[in-house]
Amino acid sequence: MKTFPIRIGTPDGLLYEGNIERVKCRSITGDVAILAEHINYVTALGMGEAFIRLEDGTERHAACIGGMLSVMDGSCHLLATTWEWEEDIDKERAERAKEKAEAILKTQGLSDKDFALATAKLNRALVRLSVKE
Amino acid sequence: MAANMKAVKLRIKSVENTMQITKAMELVASSKLRRAKERSDNCRPYFEELYDTLKTIAAGNTDFSSIYAKASEGTKVCYVVIAGDRGLAGGYNNNLFKCFEADAAGKEYTVLPIGKKAVEYFKRRKADILSEEFAEIASISVGDSFEVARLICDEFKTGEYSTVGLVYTEFVSMLSQEPHFVPVLPLSELTDEEETEPVRNLILYEPESTEVFDAIVPEYMAGVVFGAVCDSVASEQAARRTAMESATSNAEEMIGTLNLQYNRARQASITQEITEIVGGAEGL
Repeated sequence: MKTFPIRIGTPDGLLYEGNIERVKCRSITGDVAILAEHINYVTALGMGEAFIRLEDGTERHAACIGGMLSVMDGSCHLLATTWEWEEDIDKERAERAKEKAEAILKTQGLSDKDFALATAKLNRALVRLSVKE
Repeated sequence: MAANMKAVKLRIKSVENTMQITKAMELVASSKLRRAKERSDNCRPYFEELYDTLKTIAAGNTDFSSIYAKASEGTKVCYVVIAGDRGLAGGYNNNLFKCFEADAAGKEYTVLPIGKKAVEYFKRRKADILSEEFAEIASISVGDSFEVARLICDEFKTGEYSTVGLVYTEFVSMLSQEPHFVPVLPLSELTDEEETEPVRNLILYEPESTEVFDAIVPEYMAGVVFGAVCDSVASEQAARRTAMESATSNAEEMIGTLNLQYNRARQASITQEITEIVGGAEGL
């Protein structure tokens, strides 16, 4: 299959650079997969599972949260707020975060900000867990 | 002569003490610099990539429906000024403020200072300050830069501002740091003026350019702010290290000349004593 160059970056550093067959991730409206020779394209990323398929056919899964994906003249740039490879995810920590967020959401009289914060935390934890499973 | 000797001795002591402090500060700054540089190196590709991508998008953008994409009617300029927490870093803070003054001259502006020195500076000038929450640059994390971005985006949406710019110090190398002004918003500011490409790059936005911009711009702001903070922190430490290094070598030089003076005074007092003894002996 045809491949295309991709660079995956987060504020913590450049995580991946190389040629891949396909990348799939969740945009703000739903899942998208990019193959080689895609037209110039820009979208914003939501929270969800992502994976890239390398040239040799192996797949690497990751949790991808926020950011943007752009394809410019054949090369793809994926700039995420957080991008964690499957093997780097701490399952116990994510489970703890999930329980904590759920506990907060159960309490009464939350301010809008706290509610939004707890929901975001819960969502992040759920994404991490779903990638790990 | 003995009094002179004592005074010189005291001065040597005091210079030695100062040198000890500057030396310690130099060591601290270089270890902090190493860490700061690592962080800045780590996030630099992201920062550059983000800026470049947005730039290409802005250049290829034909649709200015998003509020972030085109200049609003406002005349005010919003500056994010990133300075250090502490002084004793050579011209680091001063150069940055000079760069800011050069750009802000004659404009009506609001600032969001980051770093204690910046907050103090704008308080003294009674400038319009957006928030003083980010007074400590050393503790700014990715999360905080998202907060900054949200604040700025909300401000920009009011339509009062024509541009949002960032004033920070770029870490060029260990020995040179340059203060810069970079326009951040609106996106039309990012396109180079000499761009004469007749055929515009057509880009597919999904779901729609307005929505994409609305989602991406805060993200982009946060990334740019964080990158600038990392660079500024590294620059500050590098500037401090250089300043302290030259202070230490200055102190060494001073001690050298003072030692010479001391020895001369000692010699003179010995000579005097001998002449006195000889004179006394002859008188016997």
